[in-house]
This record gives sequence, structure tokens and C-alpha cells, in this order.
Amino acid sequence: MQKSTIQFLLINCFLAIVLVSCGSVTKNYTPKKLDKTTIEVPYFSDSKTDYVYKTNITVYGHEMSGIFIAKKINDTTHRVVFTTEFGNKLMDFEISENNFKVNSIVSELDRKILINTLEEDFRLLLKNKYLIQEQFENEENNIYKSSDGKRDNYLFFSKKDQKLEKVARSSKTKDKITITFTLENDIFAKKVVILHQNIKLKIELNYFKSE
Amino acid sequence: MKTKLYIFLFLLNIGNFSIFAQEQKMTAAEIAQFKEDVNIVAKKIKSLSTDFIQYKHLDFLSKDIETSGKMFFKEPALLSWQYKKPYNYSIIFKNGKILINDEGKKSAVDIGNSKIFGRINKLIVGSVSGNMFDDKEFIISYFKLKGQNLAKFIPKDATLKKYIKQIELTFDKEEATVVQVKLLESSDDYTRIVLKNKVINAKIDDSVFTN
Repeated sequence: MQKSTIQFLLINCFLAIVLVSCGSVTKNYTPKKLDKTTIEVPYFSDSKTDYVYKTNITVYGHEMSGIFIAKKINDTTHRVVFTTEFGNKLMDFEISENNFKVNSIVSELDRKILINTLEEDFRLLLKNKYLIQEQFENEENNIYKSSDGKRDNYLFFSKKDQKLEKVARSSKTKDKITITFTLENDIFAKKVVILHQNIKLKIELNYFKSE
Repeated sequence: MKTKLYIFLFLLNIGNFSIFAQEQKMTAAEIAQFKEDVNIVAKKIKSLSTDFIQYKHLDFLSKDIETSGKMFFKEPALLSWQYKKPYNYSIIFKNGKILINDEGKKSAVDIGNSKIFGRINKLIVGSVSGNMFDDKEFIISYFKLKGQNLAKFIPKDATLKKYIKQIELTFDKEEATVVQVKLLESSDDYTRIVLKNKVINAKIDDSVFTN
């Protein structure tokens, strides 16, 4: 009897520790009454704009650079191309909420795990409409939660100027991907950083004006 | 109505005619003369510096992506390709190494005996000097333009062909030097590089080839 009580307590303590240490991603935020149910993100949504960025990718200590090009080609789909500075195309994708097509990829980069990772990253980067279920706040941000299958996307708006600064894609307990935006103006990001938390991958995009 | 149709057909005809006149196949004698002219000049080239403007054309973009800078070549195989606008990025081919300077961030890749990079190096030097009439490597066709000559190279090597469908070199007729390089990718997107202010055999400081 006594032994099983101790065991029970131990298990409970263990569970308590696990639950505390893996607390929900929202544990430091204060819930708030929902003030909107949809949010549109304008940063990559203009079909007339060629979104062209100089790109640096750091993956497990290795660096590579090139040019990231995105363009909205119809209501649902973006074309995404990555080239070297010389102009050779390294990959060419078409991506929408539900579809993903590889138009071309050089054999050196043709790895399922890489393509799947980029698919998730670019889909999140280019996503322009979110349905909101919950709202939170912390000191600097109003935070909106949008469920997306097994994951949740959190949109961080600065309280100061009401601009979307960050999108975090999370499991129940951890951020998996964060995208931070530095804005040129209300509808255009001059710098974007895509950072993975569970693998050592960082993608940095810096807009450049073609002359 | 009928007159309009005639005018239309007439214009169409002129259009066709001018396209035809723009690119006319060389005769065997003209090919021989052209190759000799280019080879004589290419043999004299011990060093070369030139400004360049690169236009990356992707069919789905509304505008070509324009970058520009300077290129230096020194015998036997020193090559420096420097982008100055809109960003600073340089790539140097030197003693079996590729040296990259990306906005001050330096890196080096040992290409050693890498066949593909050896080929690329030879290709770039060949493209700029014009001396790449190698029938073993390429299927070559020759055309006359107004004041210019045009040579089209289709790679025979399967690996190279995956990256470059065709290379087109445009030569100034008088000087027999390259004024434009066009690299066509498999999907008909291309990179067009215009060479300007070319200086042959001027002294080039070695610092140009250090990172």
C-alpha cells in the first residue's frame, strides 16, 4: 500500500515536471477577447510585384547564397525560384495552400527532406490569409492563434504600430519555425528571416532593387 | 476591310523578312574566316577587364533582374567576377579554388579536380575571349547579324546540358570580340550578359584575384 502510494506520488511528480517544463507555447501570454477572425498578410500578395531577394542560407554551419524570387501567378499560387548570383536556376517550385509542384531542381539539392522543409517554409512565408481562433497579448505584441492541421500558427503584431512582425509555427509545446519581418512599408518586407528551432537552418532574405 | 488585311499581311511579311535578315546563316567560307578572326584576337589576349550588366530573364517575372559589375581575366586561368550593384559579391577562380566574398563574408571552395567546375571555368574564359570553338564539346552553328556575328553552342556533355541548354555568343564584327553572352536554361529562361568598356592587355593588379 505504502509502496504504491510512493510510486503514485513519484509518477505524479514526474508528470508535473514534464507538464511544467513542456508548458504550452502560450504560457507566458495573457488571453484576450478575440477582436477579429481573419487576418490578411500583404507582404507577398501583390500579383504585379516581382519579389526578389538576395538570400543567405545557413544549414548546420554550411553557408550558401543566391537569389530568391517569388511571384503570385494566380489567385492561389506562387512561383518560387532560387538561383545563384550568376543566374543559374537551382530550384523552381509552384506552391499554394494545398498543392506543391517541383518544376525543376538541380540533382545536388534533390533531396526529399530538403524539399519538404522548404515546402513548409515557403508555404508559411507566402500564406496570406489566416483564420483566427484565439487571441493573446504580452508586453509588446498582440498575438493571434490560427490552427493549421497538427500545428498552430501564431501571428505577432507589434502594439506600437499594429504591424505583423513575426509568424511562429508551433506544436502544442514548442516553436518549430519562426519568420520575422523587417518592413520597408505597410505592405512590403525589406528583410525576412526564416529560422528553424529543431534543425540548424536559417534562411535570410534581403530585398534588392534591380536597377 | 480588305485593304486592312493586305496592310496587315504586308506588315507581317516585313516582320518575317526582318527576322530573317537579322539572323542569317554563315556560309562555310564565312565560318572559316570568322573563326580565324576570333582566334587571332583571342590568342593576343593575355589579360582582359570589362564592365558587365547581367539580365536574368524568367518568363513569369514582369521585369528582368538586373545586376552589374566588373570582370577580370588574366592568363592562364585567373578569373574574377565582381558584382557591384545592387550588392557586392565576388567570385574568383584561382588555382583550383573558388573564392567567394559575399558583402564581406569570405569563403573558399576547393574544387581541385572537379570536372564540372573546370569546365565552367573554361566556359567562362572561353565565352569572354570568344575562343571556344570546340566541336568535340559543342554542336556549333554560325549566324550573321547587322554589324555582328553570332555563334550558338549546344553542349554535347549530358551533365553540362542539364544546366545549360545553349550558349549564344555575340561578336562585334570589326573587333572580333564578344559583346554579349546568353546562357539559355533548359526551360527557355535565360541569363543575358552584356560586356562593355572592354580593355585588352592592360596591366591588372593581382589584388583583383585575392579575396
